[in-house]
Amino acid sequence: MNLVLLLLSGVFLPLFPLSWLFNRLVASAPGAWAKALAILVLPQLGVQLLWTSGLRFSGIAGPWHGPAAALALGTAILYAFRAISVREITIWARFMATSGLALAWLQVLAGLPAAQVQLSLLAWSIPGALLCLWAGELARRMGGAYIGLSGGVARVLPRLSTLLTMGALAATATPVFPGFFVLLNVMGVLPAGWVPFLLPVLFLWGWSIGRFLQDLLFGVYRGEEVEDLGIAGAWAGALVLVVFAVAGLFFWGATWTVS
Amino acid sequence: MGVFMRGNAMDVLAVAIPFLPVLSALVIFLFVRRGRSASARTSVGVTLLTFVLALAVLAGYLASGTPQVESIGTDWGSLWVDPLSLIMWVFVSGISLLVHLYSVRYMVEEPGYPRFFALLDLMTATILFMVSAADLVTLLAAWFLVGVLLYFLLGHDTDRPAAGRYAFWTQITYRFGDLPLWMAAALLGGTYHSLSLPVIFSRIQMAPAVHTLWSIPVPEVAGFLVALAAFARSAQFLLHGWLPYTMDGPTPVSALMHAGIVNAGGFLFNRFAPVFEHAGDVLHLAFLVGLVTAITGSALMLIQNDVKRSLGYSTMGQMGFMVMECGVGAFPLAVFHLIAHGFFKASLFLSAGNVIGDARHHDGVPADPVYTSVVERRPRRPSRLPWMVAASLTILVPITVLALSHFFVAAHPFYGQGVLILLFFGWVTGAQALFAAHKMTQTNPWRLMGGILVSFVLIVVGYTLISHYFGNFLYPGGRGEKLYQAASLGSFPFAVLMLVLALLFVGGWALTFFADTLDLWGSLGARWRGTYLVLYASLSREMYINDLYARLSQILVSASRKLNIWLRWC
Repeated sequence: MNLVLLLLSGVFLPLFPLSWLFNRLVASAPGAWAKALAILVLPQLGVQLLWTSGLRFSGIAGPWHGPAAALALGTAILYAFRAISVREITIWARFMATSGLALAWLQVLAGLPAAQVQLSLLAWSIPGALLCLWAGELARRMGGAYIGLSGGVARVLPRLSTLLTMGALAATATPVFPGFFVLLNVMGVLPAGWVPFLLPVLFLWGWSIGRFLQDLLFGVYRGEEVEDLGIAGAWAGALVLVVFAVAGLFFWGATWTVS
Repeated sequence: MGVFMRGNAMDVLAVAIPFLPVLSALVIFLFVRRGRSASARTSVGVTLLTFVLALAVLAGYLASGTPQVESIGTDWGSLWVDPLSLIMWVFVSGISLLVHLYSVRYMVEEPGYPRFFALLDLMTATILFMVSAADLVTLLAAWFLVGVLLYFLLGHDTDRPAAGRYAFWTQITYRFGDLPLWMAAALLGGTYHSLSLPVIFSRIQMAPAVHTLWSIPVPEVAGFLVALAAFARSAQFLLHGWLPYTMDGPTPVSALMHAGIVNAGGFLFNRFAPVFEHAGDVLHLAFLVGLVTAITGSALMLIQNDVKRSLGYSTMGQMGFMVMECGVGAFPLAVFHLIAHGFFKASLFLSAGNVIGDARHHDGVPADPVYTSVVERRPRRPSRLPWMVAASLTILVPITVLALSHFFVAAHPFYGQGVLILLFFGWVTGAQALFAAHKMTQTNPWRLMGGILVSFVLIVVGYTLISHYFGNFLYPGGRGEKLYQAASLGSFPFAVLMLVLALLFVGGWALTFFADTLDLWGSLGARWRGTYLVLYASLSREMYINDLYARLSQILVSASRKLNIWLRWC
């Protein structure tokens, strides 16, 4: 029973190769809202299952803790690496979320309390979910959420591209969004010898967002005329991001830094 | 440690300084994002206020101050109000003010004018936080954010894909340089059980011999990692490819970039000076990297035919020299250098447009003496000093001026090898300037040489005096001498190094002096010509380093795409 629960938690709290199923589940969700909901809920379910299984950890010292931590880091690196060639925003959001969520295993292995791990998951899930929603808006206007095909989206859809940009920054651990502090926390719980294996994740995220923004913002738009996101929608999105960032400072930032 | 909440007026002012530009950016985003002149006025006004406050706090410190850590009561978010922060605040806000003032008219026809000023303000605030961060988290956050904000400033003109491409290069190099700083933070925080920089530094002084799991002293490893971060930020060799291409951004951003942001490496060395006191080998490495960068940057600068690109490589050379200064232990000199370089480079960038405009009217090509003599039939006048006079001036004058000015400020003339190396370089540089003046064809060579001599004396005396007093301000109580000692080599390698350098310089001079007389270029013939062309081609392609990176990134992106197809995008 424990093994089944552990495997299921490996699906919902993505760990390669089970992370493939997590991505399949999110990709098959109908519509942007369903995808966003899946990214938000499934990882929380994964942690609950893990705790229900009765497994408890207290640091990366046991015989199989090392391989598990290596697998978590490997998953994070793999999905970050795969994200650098993605031009469809929903897929990019999925991969970035998978990469970040895999790091939560390191917190689990270090024996952090369940509530703290669940809050950490939100640091990766919320930007992923928001990006899925805004990718849906982009697809509704342009027929698809592919970036780099027409270029210059920033000029024709300034509000939507601003939200997408900020969402992407939040997904890649940019200060002062919570991901930055969660990443610091993960670095703090890892033994010093493991930290060099965490840093490629940060580099690949930087590379990935560089390509993402280059495709999204730059160039001259040559497509049909499109209508930007409404003012109310833009303000609502901005408000969510501001609340997320401020919460990052006060909840994630103030309490969890390098231990 | 002081706490912000205690309410001392000077402390409140100090804490307000980095927050003011944030406030300005918020006001622009929320209230005046449609008002072009209102956004510019708000931004310039607040930057002026920031500069004035920075000056006031510095003056207050000079009157009766001691270093303070201003904290809001958490483990991070603290500011270190010490001489280094205060100097950097004045410098950063001063450069930012110049750039703001220039941008008011320069950017007026650009779309996104208010956004540009808001981003400039955010960048100013981030740098102010970075230079005064008193804990590892604040330092990491600010260091990270500088790269992000610079991306948006360089890519301000979103219509041009090239702007995005070059902004991306900068961003990815900066991100690469972030990694060692993260690693250093993890190592220092984990070893000394604190996030506070002053606490970590005091614990290093108490126990510098703590070892890592690889049995290397922690200060050595941490110093190496911090140095790597500084190399990436200050465009040292192999991490320099992005620097000349930042010209594709708006000119005010180029000025801010080359006058301010790129100097962050020198700041980082100084901030972590207590670590480098126990990391002598890292300082030797820094000297070597700086030397290679200075030579490469200068060589690349000389072959450019574009004013702004030439300035870009000049910055690279200057950054190499700044890191070399750190490598010999002259940390305060590096701070003085970055300030001086910042102001002169900002003025060069901001006047580059005028130079280009003038060049369209006057090509500035000097008259050919043969043409003047044969065609125009104007008599040739003596254009050079006799070579014995020139050689005496070249060798004796710089060494006399340097020695006198140095003896004036230092009780023990040669208290560190670093001082010797700096004096040696000062002599070589001065001699080179005089020699170049001798080679120039002028109607009145005595006047030219006289002018250069006076400039040289003023610069050297000013540089020596200012760096001395500046050093005492930044590193009181003889702390600066510890850095010189850390950077010292053994007597034998040092003697060999000095000998090799002296031979190289003397050989170089001899070569240029006698090249024409002995017809060296002719006797070396086609073989030299071929080598020269290969060297020139390599330099003109920027030593193929950017091509190599571009190819490598193409391979990796292609591998990522194949992997995604194989895994069906899940």
